Amino acid sequence: MSPQSMLLPLRLLWRNWRSGEIRILAGALVLAVTVVTCIAVFTNRLETTLVAESHTFLGANRIVRSSQPIPEGWQALADEAGCRTARTTQFASMVFAGERMHLAAVKAVTAGYPLVGHLTISEQPFATDPLQMLEAQTVPAPGEAWADSRLLPLLDIELGETLSVGEKDFTVTRVIIDEPDRGSSFALYGARLLINDSDLAATEVIQPGSRIRYHWMLSGSEIQLQSLLTELKPRLTPHQRVMDVESAQQGLANTLTTARKFLLLSAMIGVLLAGVAISIAARRFAGRHVEQVALMKSLGASGWAVRNIYGIQLVSLGLVTSLAGLVLGHVLQEWIAKALASLYPVELMAGDWTAYGLGLLTGMVCLMCFVVPPLWHLPMVPPIKILRRELEVKGLRFYWQSMLGLLALVFLIALFSQDLWLTASVVSAVVALLTLVALFAFGLLALGRRLGSQVGNIWRLALSGLQRNLRQSIIQMMVFALAVMLLLTLTNLRTNLINDWQLQLPPETPNHFLLNITPAEVADVESMMRSDGLEAKGMYPMVRGRLTHINGEIPSQEIAERAEVLRREANLSWTESLADDNKLVKGVWWDQWFEPGVYGVSVEEEIAGELGLSLGDDLRFSVGGLRLEARVASIRSLKWDSMNPNFYFLFSPGALDSFSPTYLTSVYLPQQDKLFINDLLQQFPSVLVIEMDRVIAQVQSIVTQVSFGVELMLWLVLLGGFLVMWAAVSSSMEARMQEAALLRALGSSRNRLLGSLWIEFSVLGFLSGIMAAVGAEVLILSIQKWVLEMPLQIHWMLMLWGVIASTALIGVMGVISCRRVMTTPPALILRELS
Amino acid sequence: MKTLDTLVARHNNSHNHDSFGIPMLHAQSLCKQVMTAAGELKILENVSLSVAAGDSLAITGASGSGKSTLLGILAGLDQPSSGTMTLHNKELTAMGEEGRARVRADHVGFVFQSFQLLPGLTALENVMMPLELHGRDCARGKAEFFLTRVGLKDRLQHYPQQLSGGEQQRVAIARAFASDPDILFADEPTGNLDSATGAHVIDLLFELNREQGATLVLVTHEQRLAEHCRQRISLEGGKVVERFPMEMACCEAV
Ligand SMILES: Nc1ncnc2c1ncn2[C@@H]1O[C@H](COP(=O)(O)OP(=O)(O)O)[C@@H](O)[C@H]1O
Ligand SMILES: [Mg+2]
Repeated sequence: MSPQSMLLPLRLLWRNWRSGEIRILAGALVLAVTVVTCIAVFTNRLETTLVAESHTFLGANRIVRSSQPIPEGWQALADEAGCRTARTTQFASMVFAGERMHLAAVKAVTAGYPLVGHLTISEQPFATDPLQMLEAQTVPAPGEAWADSRLLPLLDIELGETLSVGEKDFTVTRVIIDEPDRGSSFALYGARLLINDSDLAATEVIQPGSRIRYHWMLSGSEIQLQSLLTELKPRLTPHQRVMDVESAQQGLANTLTTARKFLLLSAMIGVLLAGVAISIAARRFAGRHVEQVALMKSLGASGWAVRNIYGIQLVSLGLVTSLAGLVLGHVLQEWIAKALASLYPVELMAGDWTAYGLGLLTGMVCLMCFVVPPLWHLPMVPPIKILRRELEVKGLRFYWQSMLGLLALVFLIALFSQDLWLTASVVSAVVALLTLVALFAFGLLALGRRLGSQVGNIWRLALSGLQRNLRQSIIQMMVFALAVMLLLTLTNLRTNLINDWQLQLPPETPNHFLLNITPAEVADVESMMRSDGLEAKGMYPMVRGRLTHINGEIPSQEIAERAEVLRREANLSWTESLADDNKLVKGVWWDQWFEPGVYGVSVEEEIAGELGLSLGDDLRFSVGGLRLEARVASIRSLKWDSMNPNFYFLFSPGALDSFSPTYLTSVYLPQQDKLFINDLLQQFPSVLVIEMDRVIAQVQSIVTQVSFGVELMLWLVLLGGFLVMWAAVSSSMEARMQEAALLRALGSSRNRLLGSLWIEFSVLGFLSGIMAAVGAEVLILSIQKWVLEMPLQIHWMLMLWGVIASTALIGVMGVISCRRVMTTPPALILRELS
Repeated sequence: MKTLDTLVARHNNSHNHDSFGIPMLHAQSLCKQVMTAAGELKILENVSLSVAAGDSLAITGASGSGKSTLLGILAGLDQPSSGTMTLHNKELTAMGEEGRARVRADHVGFVFQSFQLLPGLTALENVMMPLELHGRDCARGKAEFFLTRVGLKDRLQHYPQQLSGGEQQRVAIARAFASDPDILFADEPTGNLDSATGAHVIDLLFELNREQGATLVLVTHEQRLAEHCRQRISLEGGKVVERFPMEMACCEAV
């Protein structure tokens, strides 16, 4: 191709741009690429960061958890795979200093601990000033110990003094401010004491039969980890389990998954909207260019030349807009990341280039499937069109264009979400909506025709405006309804998600669990809390017991391997009423359960599955050597991420009375009241405390981060929605302007015209709003049910607002874009448009 | 300016051969019928004509008499249902659309009733467009020259919207002549103009046509304009009902 023939298309492109002809088209293309790039890159970065971040919950990328020491030979496997390792050994042990003692959570660690994240220590007990804290570069030296600040007053010692664990004395040299993997060992209570692994043997506390948790921490690239895990899997005994972030932090993992789905959905909706805007703009472009092509042809341009001219223009347009979209998307997500940085101290990691590739691919697919089809027939425009303007030039069938567009959307959606249900929900909702709109619109407009003759002047003018352009009106209505539906859906899901997340961990979520409160102590503990302005969240009776028999038989080997609950003691409780975050899946609650002489038990869903339990099965537990029998009355589902005390087995009232239960409660302790624990423990030495404050704070800040991202995406997509509606409004503007100018020339008053335009667009907006609200409701419900697995509810307010907003918005857009008719002499407009 | 010199030279040449010997345009028994819902519609019936190089022909007739259809066929924009057509010794009726496009590119210029300027381009760019389309050099110089020639020297950067109808048509005339056509087709070039402006445009058209030595085929329903042309035919219902001068009748006999 000669440089000459490249030049003309580029010049024409530039001139088209200058004259404003392709601005909406270019804008929509840029928007599509921007939205996708921004969301893809941002999601990618957020995910990488949060995954890395959440690995600090583990202190590693993976942990092999075991109740027995990790076999010596495994280290060689890890070395071979190139993974870094560290070991921790955790157990509860009394620590002594003089007369004082405390049941501490001792953790012996090898060099390298923690593999991910940092151990923050200080020489100043209870330090809150970051300047007094430092990141530990090593682990405690042999003979030294690092302790939770609150252990010092408990034992009445200062830093530098000694305490003993079993047979070994340690000098306490530092206090621990923060420890990354605290969250992964909920089952241990008491203040933390960190010692060097090499001192472990000397303490002589590890005896056969003592409850010890061994962690083998692993880190490395995902590939290295996978290769190691493939080697390990067959060697794992039932006592050993590989933990990743998901298993360690179910709630957080869920949050991340839903957040990602939401962001992908936003990206999808953004592309869908942009795709529609692109199609509209391209059709308009094609319409305006038919005569230009006829002119070029009359001037001797061949079909090939025309194809070249437009082909080069499109490719250049695609390149420029994609590039602009990539840059904009990059800048935007960078900006979001910056904004986040001020909220959250963790810097986002870099995204990988495939996220940008996705943006580019989107641009190309949009170009091929939304821009090319409406322009396809341009080279075939017969030159005689220049003399016979009334000659109709047939483009690719609208039907085929729509199919192609739809196909492209399905492709893009599937590509982004890689989620069948999400793709199916969105696509079927879109198709159903469009069909609905078409049927509805035909019916209503036909009805309107009949009505039109009976209503006032302005209304008649407006209705006839809609009818004159039936096809146009229907397409516009489809576009409006689609845009409004998607925006409503997204807005609602965003609100739902964020509420849901905040509900999971509201600001005053209980962050400490108190266990082992004797019945006699319950009232005193409660009054002590009250006097400190604290509030206990319920008192749950609890006994520890082991499930031994199902229907009178010892569970088979197969079940025993599957169900960890059979290998250790479980916390058993009873309750009168079901907590909010528990839900019956099968069976009945105690108020409807009548089996005289038998206690009932309600079993958690997953455990019931592992054990193969069904309603009516008889269970036998061993509680401190005594026998407890109960019949399965119901199966419950739980929300583990609610951070409330939860139990696998809940008995009917009275079942545990004879087993002298202890009580469990949870409480929210603000950071400054932390020492309350010490006071409490001083007064009630047998009470155990599980500290969840750091874990909860961390999860909360991640939720904040993700919510912020979700919010920003929503705005970006809203922008896309407005663009689409604007494109749809302006696509019919010429015809309407011409009509309006003509009417004005014929003496119609300004107000009358304005009124009729207002009505015309408001009616369009109203009808679209109704259908959009119905469509959005159905789409939201299906996404909630199948994709996010959230509880279903109908959103009347959302529907109402959807209809109101869409009526007002579209009415205003219509009037604004026609306002020139009112202010410009009609003759000028008619001349311009002729 | 070099372009100007060559153009002037050519202008002088055209005065030298007044013989109208070689036919630039030759149509033989052109018919055009189309199928419509109401049945077959005959738009042109058995039209024959011949126009020599440098000559001018006016096609007149009432609205709907088939003038534009005939012009379209003569210019190679459309195919007749039957009959043959040669333009510049090339038999258009034997060619495909791409071949005809080539012929149009090399030999034909147009002026339309509705001006047909691209709204996004300035006057200058509109005139340059066909030159650029065919990769001719000096597009800018030629365009400026012809715009100056039609009296729009000061309006080069104006958009069609900013020009009056008469001015737009003058831009269209400049565009038609800038690509140096052998034959110019004009379909009711004054149809959208008031009579004073129309007269001015027509004068300009004939002036330039003479200067350039091009052949001119003019469709008009105004007898007054038709009289500027040496040959005239009049259509009614797709048939030639009148001819001037009479010797043309012999063509039909051939
Ligand atoms: N392809 C076609 N299909 C149907 N009718 C046609 C077609 N081409 C021309 N006509 C009709 O033929 C008649 C002559 O058209 P035209 O050549 O444009 O007339 P004029 O230019 O003299 O006004 C008109 O009635 C026109 O509608
Ligand atoms: Mg005509």
